[in-house]
Amino acid sequence: MKKSRILIGFLVALGLIFNFGISQSFAGDTIKVGIVLPLTGKLAKFGEIENKSFLMALEEINGSGGVNGKKIELIIEDTTGKPDVGRSAVEKLITQDKVVMLGGGYSSSVTWATIAVAQQNKIPFLVNTGSADKLTEQGWEYIFRLNPPVSEYPGAFASFLQAKAQDVKTVAILHENSLFGQSGSKKFVKRCEALGLEVVMKEGYEAGAIDFSPLLMKVKSKKTDLVYMISYIMDASLLMRQAKQLNLNPKLFVGGAAGFTLPEFEKNAGKASNFVYSATLWTPSVPYPGAKAYYDNYVAKYNGPTEYHGAEAYSAMYVIADTLKRAKSMGRDDIRNSLAKTNLITSFGPVKFISYGKKINQNKLPTFLVQWIDGKLETVWPEKVATKAFVYPTPKWSKR
Amino acid sequence: MDIFLQTLVAGILKGGLYGLIGIGMSLIMGVMGIINLAHGQLMMVAMYITFVLSHYVGIDPYLSLFITMPSLFLLGALIQKYTLNPLMEVDSILPENQVLMTVGIGMVLVETSRFIFTSDYKSVQTSYSDATFYLGEISFSVALVIAFFIAIGFTLFMFWFLLKTDIGRSIRATAQDKDAALLMGVDSKKITIITFGLGAALVGAAGTILMPIYYLFPDIGGPFTRKAFVITILGGLGSTVGAIFGGLTLGLAEAFGASYIGMAYDDMIGLIIFILVLLFLPGGFKRLTKI
Repeated sequence: MKKSRILIGFLVALGLIFNFGISQSFAGDTIKVGIVLPLTGKLAKFGEIENKSFLMALEEINGSGGVNGKKIELIIEDTTGKPDVGRSAVEKLITQDKVVMLGGGYSSSVTWATIAVAQQNKIPFLVNTGSADKLTEQGWEYIFRLNPPVSEYPGAFASFLQAKAQDVKTVAILHENSLFGQSGSKKFVKRCEALGLEVVMKEGYEAGAIDFSPLLMKVKSKKTDLVYMISYIMDASLLMRQAKQLNLNPKLFVGGAAGFTLPEFEKNAGKASNFVYSATLWTPSVPYPGAKAYYDNYVAKYNGPTEYHGAEAYSAMYVIADTLKRAKSMGRDDIRNSLAKTNLITSFGPVKFISYGKKINQNKLPTFLVQWIDGKLETVWPEKVATKAFVYPTPKWSKR
Repeated sequence: MDIFLQTLVAGILKGGLYGLIGIGMSLIMGVMGIINLAHGQLMMVAMYITFVLSHYVGIDPYLSLFITMPSLFLLGALIQKYTLNPLMEVDSILPENQVLMTVGIGMVLVETSRFIFTSDYKSVQTSYSDATFYLGEISFSVALVIAFFIAIGFTLFMFWFLLKTDIGRSIRATAQDKDAALLMGVDSKKITIITFGLGAALVGAAGTILMPIYYLFPDIGGPFTRKAFVITILGGLGSTVGAIFGGLTLGLAEAFGASYIGMAYDDMIGLIIFILVLLFLPGGFKRLTKI
């Protein structure tokens, strides 16, 4: 009994030390903005690229005078890629750190949990990556989204199919089984129907599997023209490596963004990554001012390539700064109204929040199609931004 | 038919590997009566050693077995000697504080590797990583086949070791009745140290042979700890043969589930079997074989 009391006392003391330690270290004349990202855990790779981009933009903004004379201070919390952790991180940001607005939120499942807290507390939240459609379909007026929803990811790909690959008739869809994959695959089925394609197979899998061969054998036996995959990074690599092993030869492999555009995909899948297409939301060759500069600066600063997730984060930071600059006060409603009136050209594209369909506060942007060609991610569609000619149909594995 | 055979092959190959992952935990559970919740994390350490050896020194993953296994044995033995054994003598609030200690050790291992290697994904690319051969229409991944035979080899060796050697007999004696073993002059502390070392070395071997086909990041251990736990319960505590059957059952169940029900239900299928075994065959497959 006595021992347990000592233990409880100790834990309470520890908690107090921790809390005070954190809240006091952030005193000062700054505007606090909370960012939630997966910095550890399975999705840490995405979190890292976004984290670096946020910090890079922050440095630029604060370096050129900050917002109305005040510096922005980012309080970045780790969600570890889990919805429950993300939820409590946001609660902490709101109640303890008293941030004026929130941003970040990688992965749909985590974002879904975190924006609910923001809406409850009426704190504006700018989503920059979470892409399940329903995030902006709830009528939650404090939630804004910079990036297109997952249903619009294959926009460029659909126009590519109609223009250049009309012989594609049948489709197999493989998707990871969380909110992102489920939402994306359902919408892709609808899109296929609209394009007159037959979906002969649609199956989910649990992320982190070792052996995809049962799944890929089924695809092989169905002999589809197109294999569309919605996966996070390492599943994407393993899927392609094992497709090569099983000699699976559709006319084209297409990834639905996420894992298929990271440099690590090519590094881990090796030769199996060659000629894989992917939808993407941004490439360094997009016709927006600052896009190329962002890419070059990032490469120079961090000594490694970046891609669309980074661009989302980088531009989100600029949108946040712009919002705060125009806001009448640092009150939550003034910031919300200021965010709603955003009209800014960023390196990720023009940002303007509109309502359409069931969605509110949603930014609408075109998407692009990229292809891995000889170890490099080349933009191949639409033609006016292409950096290289596409390779279609994909050569058979035995003929490479 | 092709799908059926391919599924069977996939299940058996994966099952062999699962077996090797399970044996270590099964041994530790049998002898010390504790669940080693750092099991998958120990595997992760072995995988990082393999990665470093292959990436910076250029040693083939299979050859690095000769380095990873002794290192893991040492790591396991040290963990037992300096963190788990001292706890046995301490009067504590909770009876299972050795299990809690393994959780802590697991976290330390994960965060240490994150500190050294960051959260980046690593993989080892070898000439045979993506190699395959065909028997009829059925494809075999070369790396998985090699992994399977190495796993079976280690299992048979462990079986022989436990049955025929002095240390093996002492381990089994300690597992059956610690006090009686003590009375017969078995140094039970030494045995626990050796057992934990062996368990760590075996799961280390599993990690090493998994490296050419899989990938690696600091949090990779968790799911494998869970799998090892299921395998151990399926097979029966302390049983090598049980562990291999448990591994094969889990591998086959996952593969057939993936082919005929849906790959999204991978974990669910494994856990349903787990529940069924607990309900209808408590004690696991060991009860059937009696070894």
